[in-house]
Amino acid sequence: MNKASDLSLINKFKNGDTSVFEEILLTYQDKIYNLCHRMLGSSHDAEDATQDVFLKAYQNLNKFKPDSSLYTWLFRIAVNTCIDYKRKPFLESLFKTSKEGDVFVVDRPADSPNPDRLYESKQINDAIQLALSRLSAKLRVVIVLKEIEGLSYDEIAEVLDVSMGTVKSRIFRAREEMKEPLEKFREQK
Amino acid sequence: MRCLKRKLISPYIDGELNEDKRSLLEAHLNGCRECARELEELQKIHMLLAGAEPFEAPHGFSTRVLANIRSKGKRRSADFVHIFKILTEGFAVLLLIVAGVILGSFLSRNLVSEKGSIVASFSLEVFAPAPQDSVGGVYLAMTEAEHEK
Repeated sequence: MNKASDLSLINKFKNGDTSVFEEILLTYQDKIYNLCHRMLGSSHDAEDATQDVFLKAYQNLNKFKPDSSLYTWLFRIAVNTCIDYKRKPFLESLFKTSKEGDVFVVDRPADSPNPDRLYESKQINDAIQLALSRLSAKLRVVIVLKEIEGLSYDEIAEVLDVSMGTVKSRIFRAREEMKEPLEKFREQK
Repeated sequence: MRCLKRKLISPYIDGELNEDKRSLLEAHLNGCRECARELEELQKIHMLLAGAEPFEAPHGFSTRVLANIRSKGKRRSADFVHIFKILTEGFAVLLLIVAGVILGSFLSRNLVSEKGSIVASFSLEVFAPAPQDSVGGVYLAMTEAEHEK
């Protein structure tokens, strides 16, 4: 995530060279996909949402203002897309069994052929997804941005357009609420 | 009552406390068992989350996104052509209506007499005179008699 090279790509894009978008896409696709997966809980929804994020980014990149960084801008689009995505399936949810939303498809990590390692990784991911799914969207997004994406409080405040104090208190509350389900997981191990 | 310094533990783990607050909390942790336990629990959560395997975009994802962008672009230009066609057709229909109204008002001005009654532009006189004793002849005689009144 290099701000100078991002700005250079954006300037090229604004000057009509839309082919540079591929470079932006390849740089950020995994981060955005990971965020969407943690927010939505399934690989299918994550792929759809990530597609939407990059489509919106492509359509709005000409309006990008260099006072924020490209990745915080992309994260902001991703967060809003995931929140909208969560609102959408209201009608669909009427036709789902109540627990269906808690079933998460965990993608097979690419570089870990060891089955024990895979199993452990899957278990951890399932436990994390379950704990995340119990949080409200507001709390889930701050904890994902902090713990999974590694953003600072400052950057999270910028992405969500809230104060630092709000970020701090939401992270505290999210951790408090995650204690119980993750504690249960550790006890079961 | 729970320790008020407990809320500092989360930003402490994230390295978001300034030097003064960090030193203050570290000194406090030596004497407060509740906060020490909270720190231990939150650190475990932090380690678990930080160690989670990141999800990677599926194979061929970027190709699909770029194809989607291109098809949306084509669709957008196709939409523009479609909208242009609809507007042109609408304009043509509007033009026909306006022309019809103008023509209608022009013709009605020439066809309607000052009294407002319609002049029989397709007068029966244009046809060959009907024989006096035929139905048509009787009808014409009646019509003329009406007009003379």
